[in-house]
Amino acid sequence: MSRVTLRRIRWLLVPLLVVPLGWLLFTGFGRDPREVSSPLIGAPAPEWTLPTLDGGTLSSADLAGRPYIVNFWASWCIPACVDEHPVLASVHERQGEELQLVGVLYQDSAADAEAFLARYGDAGYPHVIDDAGRLAIDFGVTGPPETFFVDAGGIVRDKQFGPLTDALMADRLGAILAAAGP
Amino acid sequence: MTRFAPIAAVGALLAVGVAAVLLLTPAGEPTDGERADVLARELRCPDCQGLSVADSPTQSGAEIRRQIDRLLASGASPDDVRAHFVGRYGEWILLAPSSPLPWLIPFIVLGLATVVLVAWLVRARADPEERSVPVSPGARRSIHDEAEALDA
Repeated sequence: MSRVTLRRIRWLLVPLLVVPLGWLLFTGFGRDPREVSSPLIGAPAPEWTLPTLDGGTLSSADLAGRPYIVNFWASWCIPACVDEHPVLASVHERQGEELQLVGVLYQDSAADAEAFLARYGDAGYPHVIDDAGRLAIDFGVTGPPETFFVDAGGIVRDKQFGPLTDALMADRLGAILAAAGP
Repeated sequence: MTRFAPIAAVGALLAVGVAAVLLLTPAGEPTDGERADVLARELRCPDCQGLSVADSPTQSGAEIRRQIDRLLASGASPDDVRAHFVGRYGEWILLAPSSPLPWLIPFIVLGLATVVLVAWLVRARADPEERSVPVSPGARRSIHDEAEALDA
């Protein structure tokens, strides 16, 4: 490259360096650093057996053969868990036996969770108590609410980080209900 | 060559530093407890802000520490333990990147900058004319005329 061309394009160097760097910082600061794509997507869902809020026991093996949703939540997770609560309840009512919902208490006491359900409505699907937080670690949860969508074959197909809305729920459900179809 | 003395001094200091770190690193097989401590410092506490599992006061941090201990006791290597958590959380769970590239970038940039700087210095010394501003014949003439007018 001759000196003359070098001199001519020198003024380009500053925007060439500054623009990509600015873009990187701008987009980088705009996203939640905890919102990372889960390595579980496409892999078999973790297996577990845990006590339920109503005194029974539930295991991932009990859910085999149909799609299910695992929703990590807590009574202290306000307003996100309160906001998404009716979304989960309405899906449970609409889908019935086609789709199993499971709530997982994330670092919460059974008494507080029961008070939450009494206040905001108990849709009737089971909630399991993950006392040591082992299931949350197996699913790679960083904080509630986080929701995992598992297909009938037991494979994790999608994950929602943060509260679900009706639109997000419909979108995520497509991944597991389509896979369950004939 | 005296102008390069500061660079040589910095290089020598760096070499001494690296040698000191290498020599002061304790030798011998670490115990499971020591391995667990190292891993706990490498893994991110999932529900903290920028804390390692070792520094974490949370339930998740405590459970991950328990799992590290359990995995090591069952014969897993430190790499197996890292893979166990990366398989759940992704690379995000590691506080330091596992790829060597991010570590090398500062050195690559420093190297390139040195090459550019040296090339620039060498050229500036080799031909000082290069840096003087060319004057057009017209401007030269008018300066000459003005100087003559002042003398008159």
